[in-house]
Amino acid sequence: MNQQSHPGASVGGGGFVPNPRQEMEYICADCGAKNEIKSREPIRCRECGHRIMYKKRTKRMVQFEAR
Amino acid sequence: MTAEEDNWQHLSRTNWRGLGLADSIKNIEDKWLLLPAFLKVKGLVKQHIDSFNYFVDTDIKNIVKANNKVTSDVDPRFWLKYTDIHVGFPDRTDLDAIDKSITPHECRLRDITYSAPILVTIQYTRGKNVVRRPNVNIGRLPIMLRSNKCILTGRTEAQLARMTECPLDPGGYFVVRGTEKVILVQEQLSKNRIIVETDSAKGIVQASCTSSTHGGLKSKTYVATKKGKIYLRHNSIHEDVPIVIGLKALGIQSDKEILLLTAGNTEAYKSAFSANLEEAAKLGIFTRHQALEWIGSRVKINRKVVGPRRPAWEEALEALATIVLAHVPVIGLDFRSKAIFVATMTRRVLMAMNDEKMVDDRDYVGNKRLELAGQLLALLFEDVFKTFNANLKSAIDKVLKKPSRTNEFDAFNTMQFQGDHITSGFVRAISTGNWSLKRFKMERAGVTHVLSRLSFISALGMMTRISSQFEKTRKVSGPRALQPSQWGMLCPSDTPEGEACGLVKNLALMTHITTDVEEEPIIRLAYMLGVEDISLATGTEIYGPHTFVVNVNGTIIGLTRCPTRFVANFRRLRRAGRVSEFVGAYVNHHHHAVHIASDGGRICRPMIIVENGVPKVTSEHIAQLKAGNLAFDDFLRRGLVEYLDVNEENDSYIALYEPDIVPTTTHLEIEPFTILGAVAGLIPYPHHNQSPRNTYQCAMGKQAIGAIAYNQFHRIDTLLYLSVYPQQPMVKTKTIELIGYDRLPAGQNATVAVMSYSGYDIEDALILNKASLDRGYGRCQVLRKNATLIRKYPNGTFDRLADAPLDETGSIQKKYDIIQLDGLAGVGERVDPGDVYVNKQTPSNANDNTFTGQAATVPYKNAPMSYKSPVAGYIDKIMISDTENDQTLIKVLIRQTRRPELGDKFSSRHGQKGVCGLIVNQEDMPFNDQGINPDTIMNPHGFPSRMTVGKMIELLAGKAGVLSGKLQYGTAFGGSKVEDMSRILIEHGFNYAGKDTLTSGITGEPMEAYVYFGPIYYQIEHMVMDKMHARARGPRATLTRQPTEGRSREGGLRLGEMERDCLIGYGATQLLLERLMISSDKFEVNACQECGLMGYNGWCTYCKSSKKVAKLTIPYAAKLLFQELMAMNVIPRLILDDA
Repeated sequence: MNQQSHPGASVGGGGFVPNPRQEMEYICADCGAKNEIKSREPIRCRECGHRIMYKKRTKRMVQFEAR
Repeated sequence: MTAEEDNWQHLSRTNWRGLGLADSIKNIEDKWLLLPAFLKVKGLVKQHIDSFNYFVDTDIKNIVKANNKVTSDVDPRFWLKYTDIHVGFPDRTDLDAIDKSITPHECRLRDITYSAPILVTIQYTRGKNVVRRPNVNIGRLPIMLRSNKCILTGRTEAQLARMTECPLDPGGYFVVRGTEKVILVQEQLSKNRIIVETDSAKGIVQASCTSSTHGGLKSKTYVATKKGKIYLRHNSIHEDVPIVIGLKALGIQSDKEILLLTAGNTEAYKSAFSANLEEAAKLGIFTRHQALEWIGSRVKINRKVVGPRRPAWEEALEALATIVLAHVPVIGLDFRSKAIFVATMTRRVLMAMNDEKMVDDRDYVGNKRLELAGQLLALLFEDVFKTFNANLKSAIDKVLKKPSRTNEFDAFNTMQFQGDHITSGFVRAISTGNWSLKRFKMERAGVTHVLSRLSFISALGMMTRISSQFEKTRKVSGPRALQPSQWGMLCPSDTPEGEACGLVKNLALMTHITTDVEEEPIIRLAYMLGVEDISLATGTEIYGPHTFVVNVNGTIIGLTRCPTRFVANFRRLRRAGRVSEFVGAYVNHHHHAVHIASDGGRICRPMIIVENGVPKVTSEHIAQLKAGNLAFDDFLRRGLVEYLDVNEENDSYIALYEPDIVPTTTHLEIEPFTILGAVAGLIPYPHHNQSPRNTYQCAMGKQAIGAIAYNQFHRIDTLLYLSVYPQQPMVKTKTIELIGYDRLPAGQNATVAVMSYSGYDIEDALILNKASLDRGYGRCQVLRKNATLIRKYPNGTFDRLADAPLDETGSIQKKYDIIQLDGLAGVGERVDPGDVYVNKQTPSNANDNTFTGQAATVPYKNAPMSYKSPVAGYIDKIMISDTENDQTLIKVLIRQTRRPELGDKFSSRHGQKGVCGLIVNQEDMPFNDQGINPDTIMNPHGFPSRMTVGKMIELLAGKAGVLSGKLQYGTAFGGSKVEDMSRILIEHGFNYAGKDTLTSGITGEPMEAYVYFGPIYYQIEHMVMDKMHARARGPRATLTRQPTEGRSREGGLRLGEMERDCLIGYGATQLLLERLMISSDKFEVNACQECGLMGYNGWCTYCKSSKKVAKLTIPYAAKLLFQELMAMNVIPRLILDDA
């Protein structure tokens, strides 16, 4: 197989180390505004009031096998 | 002037209805353009939408009008009236929303119902005042997509794109709790019509009539022979009523009149009927009163007796007036029309007794009605509305019963607290498909189906499907056979194979299903056109040689002496737009009757009117249509085109093509290929194929993987198969363009060499070119939804998402690798088998309702979602939202990209399927002089027995299209001609027959034979990866300890009953024992030889001894059976032979 590209938490150098304090960001499906989601609060965009959010794409590198 | 010139003059003279011998035959250019014009206004699923619109706009008002008053038993001065009802537009239910509008797509994503409020205007008494309140919400109605209450109707493509909705999506379905539900069209025998049948084995002739009135109650009345005599039979009467007694009770007292009304003046009928008169006389029934008494003592009384018992004759009167043949109106106890109806049924029986050919055909499409979503919803609404009113009434009674109230009673407040009975009634019925309406004695399951989104075609095919009420087990061919009368109405090709063959049908391209049209104006119109009232006629007139009986929706209304003129006049009025275009009128010469039909559920289709041998649509009209100055409705309004239902179609003389028009022609077909449905219309050159091949293709075309909708990447479906590089077919049909298959295709144009290669192509297997696969041929994506709820529990605890746990060394475990801080996997990350992608935790006491402590302190247990598939996927999308009851919903979409592999199933569009048998390197593939390799090699043995000549022509037309850079047409009964295709091939320096000289890629030598070589549209159907299954050991079912069943549970491979029979027959006892017990559910029990019961640990609890306990091995299922029998108080004892 091509790669074992799953850097554990120990991988420092080139790997992406998430900042533990930073809140996760989500994108409103309607207007594209960045939102934060607090647990047990209704999911609603603070810009447009839309009820659907998508999670942002990971910042980690993803490698595909070109086949 | 010479004689010769005179001759010519004679020829060009108009001599017959304005036609001359030398008239040139004019062709209406492009008259097929009427078809897209038709589809623009009617669409493929217009029948569903029209039916729903009719319910929402008209029927719902009628239902409320019929049940508009709520009164109180306690306070006679109180009343509440519904004065109006209407259905609003879909909106969201949360109170604090700013923008109330909601899109269907949001409902799909959030698992909610796309529904609109039902608003009523009420008037009621409050104290001494009458209060009126408009727009009172009584519940919510799921809205059919693209109906006139849906926000998608009339939107442009750009607006639809903004709402993430596909413009090619047909609509006609509901979104209920996030799933798309279709109410399939149901086929039924027509109501209120007489059907005469014979049973030659029993010698029975019977005329039956199912009455259905607007109240919804249905009952069936028979007039049948029994031992040569005729009886009236109905469910509400215990005993068969001799027909003469029945007619006497209906007010026809004299025997002479009875004889006249039934047998008329025909001697044969008279003698056949005389025995009945005799029977009545023997029973001593002479007067109407006697007849009523006779029937009255045999009527079933199914209501509770209130007050004094009524005399028998009154019971009979009521039963005859309201239950027997309920659809024939009895106004003010005037039974005349009902008597004539019964007499007509009797006469039809007499006619059938005399001549076997006078029976009706149940399978004739004209005797069928199609029931659609609107009718089913109307019944459901009537039921829930009545229950709502009953509940409201009892709630009001409860309040009014209290002697003193603090404030004045306002019924509006009571109404607000009625709960969501109507809403939940609709949602439950549509999502489960169970229509159980006790009130209407209706108990139907499986009315709704989940809209299949396997492909665009499967969704479309589902919308045109018709399911029949006939049981599938009956071994009669009649209902399954192709009916000549379904020509143009139902697709002759599109039906499943196997048990539902011929019972499940599909609508043809141009069919429309009618909705109810009011019949009173039509009856008035009929009288004005010279129909004489039936009540004034006697048998002599009714059965006179030149009189025709006029029926409106099965009810006899009068007589006419010139049926042809009457029908012609009626049709003229219809063409002028004075009556609805969906009212049909025709003459039935066998029964001497004129029928006018305005009821809903008739199948009809448009046709061009021909008058005096000239089609009314001309080339100028078509030019106007092309220019956009005319629409289909204008053609209708101008009387150029009209709808014909099946009955009227069979009373017309329809020319298929213009040159076929003769002076007696009444209509001209718009386009012959419209006899096929939407799915069969995708087949190129279907008229060159063997018929079953087209039927196979109709089943397979729906499974092809391709584009699903324009919003496919926004959809989160349980399972979505998408083609990565779909192509529109080289050989199109007009149907393909009309339904938009060229914009949402499923398949690719593969270059096919029809030749043998290796031996891996036997039995329809295909050889694939590896380089083509590398280039993306047949590549597809599989998107799978995984949803979970982050719930809040009634006891205050809640689920939570946790970040990845650390192991002893302080590092994150491999399976939690992709989990981010919010407990969800990162979007775009690769998921390997076993990986966790939603790290959910649930409280350990979630269902403990006595818990009152702090929700944050409770212990949690892990409930992660982990990836099951053996092949890695990628997180495509993670959606987070709230459902209607404010639970957090998380949907994770996981994507796999697959390239074709050995065993994947491919098919062309001609019912020719095959699996990939070998993938060959490009250098080993044959090539032609231009260096072109095939993508696929197909074995020529697929052709001789299948006779799919259409596929060969598709290749030829496709090759010509490739060479000339054009798309070719393979439309049914037309399309690009083989001769023209050959010409194009020659022009480009190719063999006219489509053959090429190939060089073998293995030996490098030219091949000895020419090879048929060119593009054929190939579709991927199934992938082995989703089918492959094997097991040695694995999970077992908990109850029986036998291996589980099915691939999804990693189940065992069953040695079935028939296999077992073989082993028994052969005598392979040890193999049997091994298969059925040792490798399945062997279990060691301790059985007592004394009592024959099972004990444990060498101890018999019944005998309290361990003396005679023996160990033996039996199947666990057998042990379970013994114990279950013991639980039922049956003792199975084990008697041991040689322990």
